[in-house]
Amino acid sequence: MPYGPPRDASLDGHLVDGAFAYLTIATGICFAIVVVVLGIALLFHRRRAGRVAHYTHGDRRRDHVVTLGVAVAMFLGIDAVLAGRSLGHLETRFWSYPDGDPAAVRVEVTARQWAWTFRLAGPDGRFGTRDDVVTLSELHVPAGRPIYLKLHSKDVIHSLYLPAFRTKIDAVPGQTTRLWFQAREPGRYELGCAQHCGVSHYLMRGEMMATPEADWQGWLDRAVQDARLRYDATPDSALGAWDWEQG
Amino acid sequence: METASDNPASGASPSVLFSRDHKVIAKQFLALGLAFLAVGGFMAMLIRWQMAHPAAPVPLVGRALFGASGGIISPAAYTSLFTMHGTIMIFFAVTPILIGAFGNFCIPLMIGARDMVFPTLNMLSVWTMAAATGTLTASFFVPLGAPQAGWTAYATLSTAVGTPGLGQTLWVVAIYLNGASSVMGAINYITTIIRERAPGMTWLRLPLTVWGFLMTSILNALFVPVLAAGMVLLFFDRVFGTQFFVAGSTIKGGGDPILYQHLFWLFGHPEVYILILPAWGIVSDLLAFFARKPAYGYRVTVGAFVAVTALSSLVYGHHMFTTGMSPLLGESFMVLTMIISVPAVLLFLNWLGTLWRGSIHLDTPMLYCLGLVFTFGVGGLTGLFLADIVADMYLHDTYFVVGHFHLIMAAAVLLAIFAGLTFWFPKMFGRMMNEPLGKLHFWLTIVSLNVVFGGQLVIGYAGMQRRLYDPSVYEFLRPLLPLNQLISRAAFVLGAAQLIFVGNFCWSLLRGRRAPENPWQVGTLEWSIPSPPPHHNFDAIPVVHHGPHELGNPLVLARLGRDWLGQTEAAELAWPARTAAEDAAGGGVETADTAGAPAAPEGTT
Repeated sequence: MPYGPPRDASLDGHLVDGAFAYLTIATGICFAIVVVVLGIALLFHRRRAGRVAHYTHGDRRRDHVVTLGVAVAMFLGIDAVLAGRSLGHLETRFWSYPDGDPAAVRVEVTARQWAWTFRLAGPDGRFGTRDDVVTLSELHVPAGRPIYLKLHSKDVIHSLYLPAFRTKIDAVPGQTTRLWFQAREPGRYELGCAQHCGVSHYLMRGEMMATPEADWQGWLDRAVQDARLRYDATPDSALGAWDWEQG
Repeated sequence: METASDNPASGASPSVLFSRDHKVIAKQFLALGLAFLAVGGFMAMLIRWQMAHPAAPVPLVGRALFGASGGIISPAAYTSLFTMHGTIMIFFAVTPILIGAFGNFCIPLMIGARDMVFPTLNMLSVWTMAAATGTLTASFFVPLGAPQAGWTAYATLSTAVGTPGLGQTLWVVAIYLNGASSVMGAINYITTIIRERAPGMTWLRLPLTVWGFLMTSILNALFVPVLAAGMVLLFFDRVFGTQFFVAGSTIKGGGDPILYQHLFWLFGHPEVYILILPAWGIVSDLLAFFARKPAYGYRVTVGAFVAVTALSSLVYGHHMFTTGMSPLLGESFMVLTMIISVPAVLLFLNWLGTLWRGSIHLDTPMLYCLGLVFTFGVGGLTGLFLADIVADMYLHDTYFVVGHFHLIMAAAVLLAIFAGLTFWFPKMFGRMMNEPLGKLHFWLTIVSLNVVFGGQLVIGYAGMQRRLYDPSVYEFLRPLLPLNQLISRAAFVLGAAQLIFVGNFCWSLLRGRRAPENPWQVGTLEWSIPSPPPHHNFDAIPVVHHGPHELGNPLVLARLGRDWLGQTEAAELAWPARTAAEDAAGGGVETADTAGAPAAPEGTT
């Protein structure tokens, strides 16, 4: 398809694409039937000399049963199948956050007009310490490990959008939202803001670098060295969604 | 204030500006709505220019409108444009035309009443709407300019944190006044439909148009106050420094921005049905009239209207799937949203049933209705994609949403407006509209709008977010430029095609063929009186004997030599005389509008 979505780079994005494909086919068939019925009616049931419309109110029990039957069949065949499928995927994948997973890379995302800030805990695994790594508009993650984000916003509502990962989640002032995903393969992926957040909404773009595990560890080590030099003990950016070191 | 001209019985023509005549008020709403439709449409053209040629000077009007930036639409101007385009189209174009104009004009005429129950309230409703439009227009001319928080005005962007300045405050006031006008109209419509139906106009003999307006009015009366409450809180946040919605570390606030979304969408999703229900009603009637058949499954259609109305407030959370709402809430809203597709499918099947084996007359109003059936089909089905949380994670806030709701709220609703205008124009103004011009307008419109909104679905599937000033900031959106340019060209054709309608409207108003009493040969009450109707509508309050779509009845054809029967025509005309006892029991009309009974025994023809 010439105008398709960016190539799916995530572990679970195929479930989103699958839902879209299923819906496209199912609704496409329904719509094709409608168009055929409409076409036959318009071609053959047009006004002609001497033609009299078939007189019916369509209000007999039999008529009701037919229309209700078709509607319920459509609901069961399309909506219910889709809902069952999606509820399952939400429970087992998208809303099954890697809370106890030691392999998960935890990130604190701070949104503001008009940039993203990403904070990683560093080697000690705690946020709000001297070895925190804070990056602006650039998220560095290892491929093949779950990435677990907790987001908040300093000013207005933003929405972190990863088109190649088929997902987005709002960043809301005064609240914490969360999102997890996993990169299947290394690469450079665009991220952006999906929620209108002011005049420069369109500029709130960033990038995610998914690198092999070893490369990421090397990057993290270098970044931690830099971070220690520039540590500011009074950050105001975080809500404390992760376990913050107090004081 | 009671003057001779306001006396319904006098028959004198009322004053134009301070009239309490529902027909004059309908025309006031129509004029106001059409004017703002033009303004909102023009803004859409500017938005499409920016999408096709980002940061290129706008031809023709650029210097005049955006002189400070050399004819280029600035990011701030673009933000105001999409904010005001949405606001104007929904609250100040479609609402006054569809509900204000058609509701006012059709309800009393179709139920056999001389006017609304509360004519003065009706006049106040149009004045309040005028005040709202004045307030909204003023927001363009204040320091810091027009509002910029989007038509949904999400907090905290819409508070002083995100959008300082008087413009956004005026927007809040304008929406509040607009809502007050809607509620006044809704109270009037509900009371009129309940109290003022002509003798014999039972609930199941109401034209479906009236059913649509009744359901819309109930939703307006219930849910516009919720929006008004949100606007009052937002106003307090902006002006008095309260913190209902303010939160975050920029301003240390203890409010809840998500609360605003709950208030907004608890109104906002019913609003979709507020606008589509009258369209459904009009189309359900017109398909029957022009297929020369009774509306198929009338009682199921009415049931579908009622079901959609009842469910409409229970599905609003699907606008908020990405706010991090509780999983249980999200899943409930997803399932409820899918359930509402059942009544929508029933309605759609009944439309097809009405057309099937009809004798379809392709007059201009019918073309618009058929166009609506097509676009509503695409628009409705794409709604399913957004009801599904998994697909919505990707599609939310993309152009897929834009394409979906434009197919319904722009394409389908506007096609219903065109259908209604061409259909009732003879009754409103006493002249016929030009058919060839109408058909030309229809074909240009239907082709170009499907390219525009269908193209937006594709763009959204490719991942393009809404409300981007310049999509080329994102690498993955750059290949979409040719498609955006195609959409924009189609949009310009769509915009230009509307000039044909304006021309047809104005020309027909002055020079159109004089309309007969009943040009479409249908049986609802408004076609039993002169075009245009006298001030008091009906010389004598009609007595109703049939449902609204008594078309193609073989018995009537045999007895009267025509395929339609007026709602007022006595049953004795068409059926063997009944005994007085049967008539007293209400049995005399059973054949015409009761399910299960064929028109007449086979032998009587």
